[in-house]
Amino acid sequence: MSIYILPVIFVVLIIYSLIKRVKIYDCFLDGGKESLSLVVTVFPYIAAVFVAIELFRASGLSEIVSRWLSVPLSYLGIPAELSELVLLVPLSGNGAIALLEKIITEYGADSYVARCAATVTGASETIFYISAVYFSKCKVKNLRYAIPVALFSSLFGMVVACALCRVM
Amino acid sequence: MNAAFTALVLLSLSLMTVVHPADALPTMISGVANAITLCLKLTAIYAVWLSVLKMMEATGLDKKLSRGLRPVIRRLFKGEKDETYDHIAVNLSADMLGMGGVATAAGIKAMASMCPADGRATDNMLLLLVLNATSVQIIPATVIALRAAGGSSNAASVLLPTLISTTVATVTGGLLCKVFAAKDRHRPAAATCPPTPPRNDRRRSSARRPRKSSAIRRQCALATKDGTTP
Repeated sequence: MSIYILPVIFVVLIIYSLIKRVKIYDCFLDGGKESLSLVVTVFPYIAAVFVAIELFRASGLSEIVSRWLSVPLSYLGIPAELSELVLLVPLSGNGAIALLEKIITEYGADSYVARCAATVTGASETIFYISAVYFSKCKVKNLRYAIPVALFSSLFGMVVACALCRVM
Repeated sequence: MNAAFTALVLLSLSLMTVVHPADALPTMISGVANAITLCLKLTAIYAVWLSVLKMMEATGLDKKLSRGLRPVIRRLFKGEKDETYDHIAVNLSADMLGMGGVATAAGIKAMASMCPADGRATDNMLLLLVLNATSVQIIPATVIALRAAGGSSNAASVLLPTLISTTVATVTGGLLCKVFAAKDRHRPAAATCPPTPPRNDRRRSSARRPRKSSAIRRQCALATKDGTTP
């Protein structure tokens, strides 16, 4: 079902553009041109975030921190096996997916831990990456309360996710 | 971001110096290499989605979408330009449908059009960031695919928990943003409107409240944009 959504949207959009006499080829040229300049602006931010994350994981710091975190997290109902995932999810989408894969093969796809992990991964966005990239065209020095609020809300979402996985 | 980046890099590097010093440089370089790989992928994704976005703009479809969502968006993001509302509408709806590429492209445009001169992010910008960072997820496609590959008997069973938990996270994020924004509003000396009554959960309360104050608020928003206090 859902595999039809995107192609149908594209077809409808192109037909609608034909009706409205919009030059579709020109739109694609503009899009291609704009994407290059957008990536050039965004690149330094992504590079910086990636260097930090790579160091964080390779140095073993992420393991140490997640070991510390596992106790308070388990009070919140998040299984201790997920603490590294919880830590990684706001930092790196690919890292989280890789870890989810590992958890699924280790515990079995239908186990409680793996279902929790899947929900937590599916429900989350890479907060640090988003905040770096979204502000790439508009330099602001002070993000004020944004990151704590985003982190707290997504942690709260994770707690709810793990509780839901128990009953659903 | 500066503090977070410095702390993370400094701590990791110090630990690395002790544990495996030979890996420090290769790790940093592989970080950038990963960033380049991602950027190449992003160029392709943006090229397609920005073209789609261009078509939506040229046909006026984004305005229609934005007009449909306007009552909600205007209430959440007060006192912005129409153009900004269009970008926000595209951004949030793409986010929910899981079209990450178009959401990011529209989000960057929305942020750029709200950009303040003094380098202090406005409440609306932060709200947009938080809503994106906790975005509602209707179809977590990658995760379902992974579960199916891992031999799950019902791979899509995580759909509902994901939807509920992301909704909870988004609502929490939005409410917290409004709380902090209202708190801050009493402090700064900038030309702001007389503090709107500290109703933080506008989304819920607006349904019950008569709309008499909305005209005042709009006036107020207009006046603030001109830099004068009403």
